[in-house]
Amino acid sequence: MSVTNLLENWSQFRHFHPVDDKPHDPYKWAMSIDLDACTGCNACSVACYAENNIPVVGKERFSHGQQMHWIRIERYWDEDQNAVGGRDFPDQGAQFLPMMCQQCEAAPCETVCPVAATNHTSDGLNSQVYNRCIGSRYCSANCPFKVRYFNWYDYPSDDAWPAEMSQQLNPDVTVRGKGVMEKCTFCIQRVNEAKVKAKSEGRLVRDGEIQTACQQVCPTSAISFGNLVDTESRVHKQWEAQKVELDKDKQEKDEQEGGSKLRGYRILEELRPYPSVMYLERVRESAV
Amino acid sequence: MKDINEDIAWAKINQDVLKSLENPRKLYWVIVLSALAVFSVGVGCEVYQYNVGMGVANLNNPHVWGLYIATFIFWIGMSHSGTLLSAILHLMHADWRKPIYRFAEAMTTFSLMTAGLFVMVHIGRLWQFYYSLPYPNERGLWPNFQSPLLWDAMAIFTYLSSSILFLYVGMIPDLAIARDNIHEGWRKKLYSALALGWEGTDRQWRNFRVTYLTIACFLIPLAVSVHSIVASDFAMSQQPGWHVTSFPPYFVAGALYSGCAAIITLFIILRYVFRFEEYMTLPILKKTVRLTFAISMVWTYLNAVEFASVWYSHDEASKAVLIQKATGPYAPFWWGMIFCGSVVPLVLAIKRFQTSIPVLFVVSLLLNLGMWLERWMIVAPTFSHGYYPWTWDHDQWPSLVQWGMVLGSFGWFTLLFMIFCKVFPSVSMYEVKEMVYHRKLHSKKSESQGAH
Amino acid sequence: MSQRHILALFSNFDEAEAVVKELRTSQIKGFDVDKDMVVKSPIEHPEVEEFLGDKPVYVQWFTLVGAVLGGLLGFFLISGAQANFYAQLKGGKPIVPLPPNFVLTYEMFILGGVFITILGFLICAGLPARRSPLYSAKVSEDQIGILVQVDESAARALKEIFTKHQALEIQEEAGK
Repeated sequence: MSVTNLLENWSQFRHFHPVDDKPHDPYKWAMSIDLDACTGCNACSVACYAENNIPVVGKERFSHGQQMHWIRIERYWDEDQNAVGGRDFPDQGAQFLPMMCQQCEAAPCETVCPVAATNHTSDGLNSQVYNRCIGSRYCSANCPFKVRYFNWYDYPSDDAWPAEMSQQLNPDVTVRGKGVMEKCTFCIQRVNEAKVKAKSEGRLVRDGEIQTACQQVCPTSAISFGNLVDTESRVHKQWEAQKVELDKDKQEKDEQEGGSKLRGYRILEELRPYPSVMYLERVRESAV
Repeated sequence: MKDINEDIAWAKINQDVLKSLENPRKLYWVIVLSALAVFSVGVGCEVYQYNVGMGVANLNNPHVWGLYIATFIFWIGMSHSGTLLSAILHLMHADWRKPIYRFAEAMTTFSLMTAGLFVMVHIGRLWQFYYSLPYPNERGLWPNFQSPLLWDAMAIFTYLSSSILFLYVGMIPDLAIARDNIHEGWRKKLYSALALGWEGTDRQWRNFRVTYLTIACFLIPLAVSVHSIVASDFAMSQQPGWHVTSFPPYFVAGALYSGCAAIITLFIILRYVFRFEEYMTLPILKKTVRLTFAISMVWTYLNAVEFASVWYSHDEASKAVLIQKATGPYAPFWWGMIFCGSVVPLVLAIKRFQTSIPVLFVVSLLLNLGMWLERWMIVAPTFSHGYYPWTWDHDQWPSLVQWGMVLGSFGWFTLLFMIFCKVFPSVSMYEVKEMVYHRKLHSKKSESQGAH
Repeated sequence: MSQRHILALFSNFDEAEAVVKELRTSQIKGFDVDKDMVVKSPIEHPEVEEFLGDKPVYVQWFTLVGAVLGGLLGFFLISGAQANFYAQLKGGKPIVPLPPNFVLTYEMFILGGVFITILGFLICAGLPARRSPLYSAKVSEDQIGILVQVDESAARALKEIFTKHQALEIQEEAGK
């Protein structure tokens, strides 16, 4: 009976995540992206399109802003060309930032979904249940990073994959119809495959066993992905070296007077979504 | 000038009001048919959008919400004045509400129904709409009760059903009058069924009074909660320009404001179409106008408070949204909202215009235009200037499909309203009688006191 | 004993009041003012209630019960559903979050209150009902009606009282 369940387990239902909750175990998927290594080549974006059956919307719809890139390369310029000692052209100070769903621990998109189509999973991901989504688009409205993409048209029947192209669709990933929200899943199909395999062999997933599509194609290995709980994983070591902690909204480097040598930061941390993606880049005054 | 002539015979009240139920004039048919035409434009747009996809609305990926949500808030807002007139003024024993509250209450019901349509056309998978309803099912799936959208659905359901019941209960004595006076056709059957055998016995009146008062007491906090919940759709989110503490009262004030303006518009139309000059009198119009003016100033104040608190805060993101509203691509609409919402109502302060029908008609339409712009200016600019820089260079302009549906909603509302006015008495007969009776008693009393 | 209904119509409240007072004092056999008389009026009129005396109205008890039950049902339905629905974390908020549940409880409180009040109204006012044997459309227009049910023998005395107070019209019908 639901009311008995409610009353008996009351305290279990009354705590905040991740601040006063026990951390994820045995898996917490996380990423770190070295912006100093990123060349802005867009290979990650292309790989993501191929891996996740993302429709290519075409010129016209792209110009209407209806693009679907789960991972996008953002370009930022230094605006110091008129300053003393500044650059001659803004492009010289180009910086790139690959942006995808940050898989927040306390995701603003989850609370607002009227049908609970987006949830926090036990391995620390932000899941999107396509079948449940009714397309109110509130999640995207409340996403601070704006990394959720809506299927404005019925792409499968709209010739997004003409004739033979449909043969290259990834069989492990559903093709989404019109009216559903979608976003980066950290290549959940690869994660699940590895998890199942590891389980059948009676072990945990090893570091490097899972590569996300974007990570796999990155020519400069700017992206690393792995299990944050596993102390041997590359991601864990990077997070630890940068002293970035998952369940804090202010990191050690923010406390240091006069800037820090640490490069790790998470975007919009002050909004307390507790993102799972750490970027590596010294924040410079000129880039602000 | 008196609110109503106290010498009107009660039988004449019956006659005059019941006349509005018979033999539509040509003008009535013109209004109904054009409303139907306008509504079918909206239906056409929705059919097209349903088949092709939401993309035809020209919404895009950072701008996921558009005119549908803005117009949804607009209609919800408009519904609040009915409650103001029928419940708040009822508790305050303001007699002058009596001839005009019935149509205001009907307006509440129909604008809620119109608002409901926008929820439907907004969502991407209308055919899965039932997912958002809390119905028990074998999969143990429930909607997400944390979502302000779900609160919205619940609040609107409560408000709509309570308003319909309130409207109906308040109409029972009038339905009995209609039953007694109309002797043929489907109307006879309809009124007999709906009047529930009301005879005006002492027992019925006693229970009626308590019931009416109780529901009025419920409706007031309900109306406030409905629009604060709509405000929560924005205030509970994290976006700059939406995450504002003062939104709930601001929304409620805006709701009463646009509702009052709509009451003035409909007042003028009904007065003309049904020749209700004797009941919808100029002094009553004047009181409504003064009320509207007062609320417009409350709205202006809350607007200023919102801007000021953003302006003096250290929240750079919210400040940027505000600056962008005033200077960016939305500036003409934003300033239009300020003009229509805060400057135009100043006309209402001038005594000469408080009873001038042409002036009031134009002003009330402008006020509502301003309030519609306000809702749009709440929804849209935040999307093009959010926290994340990627959104900053995206512009978006609603497509004709969106505009068509906004237009269509006015047709739908007009259609419902006109049908209501032909089928049900749009002036409360028994309450006008009460009003006349009390006035007469009052003047008799003061006369006899004067004689002493 | 054979009973009959008599309906008398009056043009104003003062006369109706006088009639009721007289009916109270005159002791007609087999006629009880509180049981056998019904006053009908076209408007809600506190003076009528005054001269008819206090009669309790129970609608507000329905309201109380409805509102409380609505609120309780709301809270437990929602919290129970949240606790059972895979206990799924959303946005780092508690699984049974109080502020949203309060909002929904509040709405259910009002919903229950309004619905049960209407139910209470129908029960207490005895609606829907068949109309009484004698009914005049004048009552819904501008006249006050007094409907009595008396023995054949007393009918005459009553009619006299009605005429004395300038009844506009007296209808009668043989009862069973």
